[in-house]
Amino acid sequence: MRTKAYVPYLFLTPALGLFAVFMAYPIIYSFLLSFQTSEAGEMVPAGLSNYQRLFTDEIFFTALKNTFLIMVVQVPLMLFFAIVLASSLNAVKRFKGVFRVSFFMPAVTSLVAYSIIFSIMLMGDGIINQVLAIFGIKAVPWLSHPWWAKAALILAMTWRWIGYNMVIYLAAMQNIQESLYEAASIDGATRIKQFFTITIPQLKPVILFTAILSTIGTLQLFDEPYTLTKGGPSDATLTIGMYLYQTGFRYFDFGYASTLAYVIVILIGVLSFIQFKVTGDDE
Amino acid sequence: MLKLSKMLSLLLISSVVLAACGGKNENEGTNSGGNTDAKVQLTAWAWNVNVGALNSAMELYKKDHPNVELKVEDIGRLDVYDKLSTGLAAGGAGLPDIVLVEDDRIQGYLEAFPKGFLNLSEKGFDSKADSFPAFKNELASKDGKFFAFPFDAGPTGMFYRTDIFEQAGVSVDTIETWDDFIAAGKTIKEKTGAQAVPIDKFKDDALFRMMLNQLGVYYFDKDGNIDFNNPKAVQAMDTIKALGDADLVKDVNGWDGTVSATIDGSVATVPFGAWYYGTIIDQAKDTSGKWGVFPLPAFEKGGNRAANLGGSSWMIPSATKHADAAYAFAEYFATTNEVQEIAMDKHGLFPSLQTTYDSELFQGDVAFFGGQKIWKLFSEEMKDIPTPYYTKDYALALDEATKAQADTFNGKNPADALKESAKRLADRTKRQANNG
Repeated sequence: MRTKAYVPYLFLTPALGLFAVFMAYPIIYSFLLSFQTSEAGEMVPAGLSNYQRLFTDEIFFTALKNTFLIMVVQVPLMLFFAIVLASSLNAVKRFKGVFRVSFFMPAVTSLVAYSIIFSIMLMGDGIINQVLAIFGIKAVPWLSHPWWAKAALILAMTWRWIGYNMVIYLAAMQNIQESLYEAASIDGATRIKQFFTITIPQLKPVILFTAILSTIGTLQLFDEPYTLTKGGPSDATLTIGMYLYQTGFRYFDFGYASTLAYVIVILIGVLSFIQFKVTGDDE
Repeated sequence: MLKLSKMLSLLLISSVVLAACGGKNENEGTNSGGNTDAKVQLTAWAWNVNVGALNSAMELYKKDHPNVELKVEDIGRLDVYDKLSTGLAAGGAGLPDIVLVEDDRIQGYLEAFPKGFLNLSEKGFDSKADSFPAFKNELASKDGKFFAFPFDAGPTGMFYRTDIFEQAGVSVDTIETWDDFIAAGKTIKEKTGAQAVPIDKFKDDALFRMMLNQLGVYYFDKDGNIDFNNPKAVQAMDTIKALGDADLVKDVNGWDGTVSATIDGSVATVPFGAWYYGTIIDQAKDTSGKWGVFPLPAFEKGGNRAANLGGSSWMIPSATKHADAAYAFAEYFATTNEVQEIAMDKHGLFPSLQTTYDSELFQGDVAFFGGQKIWKLFSEEMKDIPTPYYTKDYALALDEATKAQADTFNGKNPADALKESAKRLADRTKRQANNG
């Protein structure tokens, strides 16, 4: 039986239609917007002025710096602990399901619930500082000090996403040949040595995958600073994603906001490219 | 092709928005031909106590206009602005017929979306202008045309817990200046453990704005120049720093944090606009009779103690399909004494409709406040309130002023913090900064 050539396209139509309306159209429209500016409520062509403005925008550079600082610390930290967690869970024999579910839970928790709870716990007289006080540690200004606020965001993000990455690693670990470990232990390699010489190299493609996903996620970072710190104190946790939102929806500057959006796109493209090159995987 | 997809997306977005709003729309739109007897379903966006005020007004209004139905959607304050901005940018898609907008945001919206709102002067609202104070009219109009119905105002006061003051043996009569207040605050903290004021140190600068207004300055001067470096603005920030240095400030997290501090008695006073009455009677029912109000302390003996914080007005998006019905109802709401008195009596919203001030309600005792005549106090304040200049760049100025306050609490000298904020604001708005 021969299928008419157009039939597959017919089946694809709903998906393509949705893609066109919700993805392609906004992508193209925001690109056009990034070359426009608002004058008395009308969008008028502005040439490259939005892009030029970036280079003199002090707040944009602050946001860029914050975003990269958070990314450089948070992504490796989280991925490393996710692998450690995954490989310990892989070795656990009892209550496997319980552990997996409890570590994965944060990834499916409602964002609002999670950030409200974190903001209450991290308050000046919140439970975290109360616990620290028991050990005689002075209250930490989690959400109000420029450095601690960044640390608080990193903590919250790591809590939320570590389980998600762990599950990915756990799945990948099922594909590592048991015989590799057997051979290694016969040769006298310790557990720790096995972890660094077998587990990590075997996981390389998956690590690359998660690293790219996390990098993209962090470059778009918005939820945590929005709900926990509102970008403060004094822009110390303002990310590019937050700045984009403020520019568009607080200051009504949709043209410049679109420009910021394209800066994020370019950054993601460049960083992903570098990650591919550095890890030497061209597949 | 672009046209088609644009239409499609608008259609989809609006249907999604409608569905998301909880769909009680099944019986609307049967007839939009302007027939006065036809059923009209109006929708409104508002938040907090304003929702109740709107519903109470509708009950009265329906006696003479049984064909009009009103559906009020209770949306969070900031969410209203997000949805409103998005809807206006999308050419009016998914917007309600009436929306509440705070006075400090009106000029920003009118500048960004000059065609987004109904011109009320064309509908004849100019004839009502005399009923409102001049500063309120100025805030509700652009180029001499009304675009908003003036509603509530926020003459400020220090809401205080009489029981805490008594326990500490402090009388409010001794508090005339901010220095007096700090001295009293120290005594209260020592005797009762309660701190003096709640401030969202790193995210909001409400007290700073009250002090600016009290001192007759604001983020901008009347020519639209940035006024952060005005010695009076520095004086205000210095006072806030002094409160912090004396450990009299409870750092609260946003609105919810402020309300919790109000309820649990961890602060002795809450400086806010008159509208905070509504929140207190609503949220802190157990503390009935234990509240009082005194005006903001002055910066020097005999100085001005009147200021305004907040206040809002109703606007009609021009995308409405029921412009006449929406105008008729909103005008009724804004200019009817009975409606405004209910709004104040039941919901604590202080009217800017001056014709109400002579009524019994304003001259009477308030039981929740231990029989104090708080409304008389607030209404007498109205005439001394200086006009604040918000401009269309208010949101940016608010952002920078909040940063200056955050920097101050993190140890920076207030004058330096304000100077840096003024410079950033000048870059962002292309405005001149005074004394830069």
